[in-house]
Amino acid sequence: MRKAFLILLSLLILLPLFSLFFWVFTERWPWPNILPKDFSERALKSTIARAGELGNVFFTSILLSLLASFFSVLIAVLSGRALAFYDFPGKRLISSLMLLPFLVPSTVFSMGAQILFLKTALYSSIPGVLLCHILYSLPYANILLNEGTRALGEGLEEQARVLGAGPVRAFFSVSLPNLFPLLLSAFTMAYVISISQYFMTLLIGGGRVKTFSVVMVPYLQSGERNFAALYALIFLLVTTLVFFIFEGIARACTGGRRAELFSDY
Amino acid sequence: MRKRCFPWLLLLPQLFFGLLFLSGILLGLGWSFGLSPLRGGVGLTLRYYGEIFRRADTLPSILYSVKTSALSALFSVLLGILIAAFMIRSRWDRGILLSVIKLPILVPHVITALFFINTISQNGLLARLCFHFGWIQSQGDFPLFVYDRFGIGVILAYLWKEAPFIAYFVLSLMAGVSRRLGEAAVNLGATERRAFFEITLPLCLPTIFSGFLIIFTFSLGAYELPALMGATVPKALPILAYQEFQKDLSNRPIALSYNGILMGLSLLSALIYRFLLMGGERREK
Repeated sequence: MRKAFLILLSLLILLPLFSLFFWVFTERWPWPNILPKDFSERALKSTIARAGELGNVFFTSILLSLLASFFSVLIAVLSGRALAFYDFPGKRLISSLMLLPFLVPSTVFSMGAQILFLKTALYSSIPGVLLCHILYSLPYANILLNEGTRALGEGLEEQARVLGAGPVRAFFSVSLPNLFPLLLSAFTMAYVISISQYFMTLLIGGGRVKTFSVVMVPYLQSGERNFAALYALIFLLVTTLVFFIFEGIARACTGGRRAELFSDY
Repeated sequence: MRKRCFPWLLLLPQLFFGLLFLSGILLGLGWSFGLSPLRGGVGLTLRYYGEIFRRADTLPSILYSVKTSALSALFSVLLGILIAAFMIRSRWDRGILLSVIKLPILVPHVITALFFINTISQNGLLARLCFHFGWIQSQGDFPLFVYDRFGIGVILAYLWKEAPFIAYFVLSLMAGVSRRLGEAAVNLGATERRAFFEITLPLCLPTIFSGFLIIFTFSLGAYELPALMGATVPKALPILAYQEFQKDLSNRPIALSYNGILMGLSLLSALIYRFLLMGGERREK
């Protein structure tokens, strides 16, 4: 019973994903046919013909999200150290303010930020969108790394210092490798948050920063579902590839130790 | 001295983003109360809030947003707990099934909307199958799940994406509690069901509450799903806000007042969450 439920669940998750292959080639599907009437490669051909444009969209999306997750993790590592190893006035306030973006919807912030950016060079530019993506990816990295840095403690680094390592070396060769699985989780989470942003990218990017979701939504709204399906399919394939590469890098960095993306935290 | 400044130095980039966040929020909130960044503002006022509450579509929209978000979060949490519990009981909490569970977390909402429009709309696969089996006579006989007034399609789409998220979110905690304490209770004679409901579930409750809050506040302020799958009447709050935002400049404060309400609602739910957690802690003492 239990296993049947779990298998059904997996099917409900996987079937929509596989149905995309089918939709890409669907041209005409009049009611009430169970199967489409006409298949064509129109969406595929027309997209291949504009492969350069599509390449740019994916290049922008991936670069933007990689940068956003890189900076989120970097900032979260620094903040995690400050909160775990030092005492200073306002510490509690800062650590709760860090989580505020969880509570304020990104739509609310986006409209405020658009007004803020409107007269500056940040509006409808990649750096402007990047700043906002970082802001909403950061709390996820913060949660993971605040906890992780505290759990790791200062002990190991102090031992390295006693043995003669400088503070920089102690950090890079002791703490960083130990935090690595967590860094990877934080990076993945931040990447997912950033690449899924639609409203924020549209509003801050002013329609000129073209990421995957900004380009796909008009197809969905105009009912050109074969194009929407093709974009979705390419997106999912590219994401899988990116995660595959992440995992490869992770394996190489941890010297073959098993490193799982999104690992337990 | 160095020791005193160093933590602030480490926090510098974080503080920069905190400042950016607060400026964006306060600028919007301020304007909704009449503190315009443009010349010729009207000064502190509540009249924009007064105006949106005089509109007939505001209250239904608030109700629609709160209802769809609360139901999405509630069903996702219930289904997510069920998935996690089943995975642990059948010892399928690692390997392929875990990877499948993670998939919906990676799929952006716009793609989720595509799936559901393809499947459950009146033109979708499900309606065609029903017609084929003779359960309905025409397209119109199929219940309106997408673009419907009750937000059924939106809730289902959130469920597809967020129930696996909850399962993933509680899985490692639940597995740990169940293997250590739950099995101890079973050894002492409790039934599996009783061990789950009286030991494992209560200990996972704080995490489950956090999961509920994350989904509730997220869907309350989310634009994509209600925009792509929601009804024209009533509209979700973020859609109303964006609609006003896109009109001319004089409508900005109206749009920002909708945002003020959204923010108030999510802060309120966070307070309720704190209150519930504190109540739980007191009971434990």
